[in-house]
Amino acid sequence: MTEKAQSDLFISVIDTHKGILHKVANVYARDAESKKDLVQEIVAQLWKSFGNYDPQFKYSTWIYKVALNVSLAWSRKEHNRSKHVRPFPEDLLNLASAGERGDTSTDERGADETNFARLQQFILELKELDRAILLLYLDERSQKEMAEIIGITTTNISTRINRIKGTLRQKFTQLQDQ
Amino acid sequence: MEETNFVLLWKEHYEKIDQSLAINKRLLKELLTEKAGSSIRSLIRGKAAGIVAAVVWLVLLSASLAVAIVHYSSAANYFIVSIGAIFLINVKALYDYIRHLLLINSIRYDGSVRDIQHKLRRLRESLIRHSRVMVLQIPFWSTFELSDKWFPGQVGAGYILFQVLLTGSFVWLALWLYKKLSLNDRHNRWVRRFLSGIGGREILNAEKFYRELEELEA
Repeated sequence: MTEKAQSDLFISVIDTHKGILHKVANVYARDAESKKDLVQEIVAQLWKSFGNYDPQFKYSTWIYKVALNVSLAWSRKEHNRSKHVRPFPEDLLNLASAGERGDTSTDERGADETNFARLQQFILELKELDRAILLLYLDERSQKEMAEIIGITTTNISTRINRIKGTLRQKFTQLQDQ
Repeated sequence: MEETNFVLLWKEHYEKIDQSLAINKRLLKELLTEKAGSSIRSLIRGKAAGIVAAVVWLVLLSASLAVAIVHYSSAANYFIVSIGAIFLINVKALYDYIRHLLLINSIRYDGSVRDIQHKLRRLRESLIRHSRVMVLQIPFWSTFELSDKWFPGQVGAGYILFQVLLTGSFVWLALWLYKKLSLNDRHNRWVRRFLSGIGGREILNAEKFYRELEELEA
């Protein structure tokens, strides 16, 4: 494959799976600037390993592996990022405001947004590994794919998901009771 | 809220987002060319000051060694051996430091989270093990000023005793520090400070994660 063809294929793969980058960055970076830098770092690492992409895995599995590994390493040195990253002035992912509107009524939207904000807050409070597992679960990845991405058995994944869901239910119940 | 609703809530939120999420292709193309080698550049940028300082220090040490060797006299034996040892220890430490940074930097992140994070941990631990070799130069700082001309022949027993005690305590200190500066003693504040300074911060910050992983694997 020529370099141009490879780069075009890469751009198309990233374009198709850009949602994964957005979700992972939302879960591991805390502010807009960090998200921007993290997405760039993930894309740079994806490009670095693209030549060795193993077609036996789905692109989504490969992207999740790289994105989570980069994010975990990133979260440990984030406070130092200005020293390590040459920031690009723009965002790699642009979010048009129209997309946030949806078709639901204002009340329903308000309730959903509140619940989503709670869910997001709960995810941010989780330990790093649980955060990754919950992210994959919410994104409806199969337990087999989750096991491949995390590198542990499906039994362990299943046990951990049940535990996280239990805590999640408990937190939401507490909030509703207040 | 039922558990299925969390998935639904997540899905609905991101479906809306996905519809309006656009990739900046111009920037992406720029990133592919710009970032191809930039991770090494950014790595070097981050550590540049330390590496430059170490290189300048090595140049100074090698220059003083060269002067001593070119104008050799037996009076400079202690100096040559001491500075030579300090030079070699510093070269080894700098070489290992750069090698480890490059190894850490060359990791491809496309393995499973467990494998890659373990690999990163092993490399960083190895970086720490190699970096503490620096403390082994300490005893040589107590011997470089001695000269064959007056030591030990022209000094009294008191001075010899003083020198033996000084060098002996420096040897003890170096070995103690070498043993102490490890991840096993990471709970000690100044050990943590040292480890952070040589790139151990990521390991220290990741401790909870590794415990979490071990718990999950148990």
